[in-house]
Amino acid sequence: MMKISIAILGLAATFSALPATAEPVEIMLPADTSTLLESSLPGYTIALQKCGICHSADYINFQPPGLSLAQWTAEMGKMQHSYGAPLGEEEINLLGAYLAVTYGSAKATDVDVQALTAAEKASKADSVTDEGAIDVQALLTANACMGCHAIDHRVVGPGFNEVAVKYASEKDAPAKLAASIQRGGAGKWGQVPMPPMSNLSDAQLQALADFVLAQ
Amino acid sequence: MTDDTDSKSDRSRRQFIKNAGVAAIAMSPLRGLAAPDTDEGISFAAGPRPLVRYPGKRDLILVHSRPPHLETPFSTFNDSVLTPNDAFFVRYHLADFPTSIDPETYRLTVKGQVDSPLSLSLADLKAMARPTEVVAVNQCSGNSRGYSSPRVFGAQLGNGAMGNARWTGISLKTVLEKAGVQANARQVTFNGMDKPVMASTPDYRKALDIELALSAEPMLAWGMNGEDLPFLNGYPLKLIVPGYFGTYWVKHLSEIEVIDHEFDGHDAYFMNKGYRIPDNDCACISPGSTADKTRPIGKLLVRSFITSVMSDEVLPAGRPIELKGLAFDGGTGIKQVEVSPDGGLSWHATNLGEDLGRFSFREWRLPLTFSQKGKTVLMVRATSNGGEEQPMKASWNPAGYMRNVVESTPVVVS
Repeated sequence: MMKISIAILGLAATFSALPATAEPVEIMLPADTSTLLESSLPGYTIALQKCGICHSADYINFQPPGLSLAQWTAEMGKMQHSYGAPLGEEEINLLGAYLAVTYGSAKATDVDVQALTAAEKASKADSVTDEGAIDVQALLTANACMGCHAIDHRVVGPGFNEVAVKYASEKDAPAKLAASIQRGGAGKWGQVPMPPMSNLSDAQLQALADFVLAQ
Repeated sequence: MTDDTDSKSDRSRRQFIKNAGVAAIAMSPLRGLAAPDTDEGISFAAGPRPLVRYPGKRDLILVHSRPPHLETPFSTFNDSVLTPNDAFFVRYHLADFPTSIDPETYRLTVKGQVDSPLSLSLADLKAMARPTEVVAVNQCSGNSRGYSSPRVFGAQLGNGAMGNARWTGISLKTVLEKAGVQANARQVTFNGMDKPVMASTPDYRKALDIELALSAEPMLAWGMNGEDLPFLNGYPLKLIVPGYFGTYWVKHLSEIEVIDHEFDGHDAYFMNKGYRIPDNDCACISPGSTADKTRPIGKLLVRSFITSVMSDEVLPAGRPIELKGLAFDGGTGIKQVEVSPDGGLSWHATNLGEDLGRFSFREWRLPLTFSQKGKTVLMVRATSNGGEEQPMKASWNPAGYMRNVVESTPVVVS
């Protein structure tokens, strides 16, 4: 069936008196171009990956200035327990620190911010030594992949089997898919964008791509 | 303190734009240059907010882009008592909502504690009874949140998350009676076609007590100011609850369920945890404290605005001018609007405009001549037919809901 946009319908003086055989009304939303303020704090990559699942960066950019570390951290707690954001306790604290330093009253040199950053570096160093054996299930959980995807059917994003079919005939499919997971994007599979998984190592991205392509 | 400095410098920049370049900016393709004018006196962590064009809408102030949240520039309210459809504010909670809706296949489901569950097309709804109309204000619970002091998290709205329209539809009562509400009914829940991105996020659903749902006012509207609802205001059907905050006005309405208990569970979040106010007379607490008890937000409080003069405008001395504005309340209607030209020392009764019904904006006008030059503050306050007045000092609550303080507009008379 032909689709007409409401911009065109709006021109019709007889809009409200359209006959019963009206066409679907369709809109095209403008692309979300808002971006988070960059930071070298570890919470920045978490924010890039997790916040954008449900909302644009301007939900953060347009908050009031001057909010404290305690306030931003409490707000991240609310995102988790009220709105179901896929965040662990450490991530809540790291996000709070990134947001309070970048948008609020905290400084990167504050003792509590530095303590959080140091703890994160230490745990990352631990995980690097484990790089030899990548646990795909743990990656899927930690990165909330299954919040939007399922193995064999569409949720908000495409089912992994759909992705596997699409990439089946592609040359360098594993590398292309790994790059796509890292970059995120919108428009290929629907209007809800996928945030970038920019915190993952090349090996982790490759393991995820291989897993998806095997479905 | 930073806030004050910011808003002052923003104001003078705005004034410069007003004085020096209105025509030039309006003609220029570089409309983005006018962006500072969208702050409405509010500071942001990483502003300023741009003007944006969404489908079916004129340029509106961007509050958030996904899910969309757009505010009406305040000057729009000076143009007409009915807010034009393309200027009406937009507010979504959940990012997964349809961008294509077929009015042929659209159905409204009515289920739960009813004798005959229904599945109604738009044509069914339009044929069920004579359409009814009401002019009513839809105002966001958090309208004016950006002026909360101390500041609070949430959409930092100016005063433009409100609008007044003529809604056309069918009484909710008529639809519920057709389904046959059973004796054990306690509440009615409403769900729209918008969905959360992740299953762990609560859906956006609202509940009305059965007495309110079966009262004369709530309406299922397909028409707004004589046209179909704009897509982003809830096409093809929206719940209208005259006198109540916009949180109850569910968009893209697709499901009505009559229940025999108080709405609860994961998807009752926006009733049971969100959109609640301190359960006391002022719906307020002191900053830093926690409310012992809360209740769901309900009716609009009485408010009034000057629309013809913006902050820091220069007004002439010794020459008659006319001030103009609007007032509204939660459904008793406006009894009186008074204006003070001198920061609250003296008050003058204004002339009320046409009465479009007790849920509508009510226009007011006041002829005025300033005899003295210098800085002064204009103030406006309304009294409702129910005797409700506006407070001189803003109360505070953690979510920044229900602001209705007497508004002040600093001006310079020269």
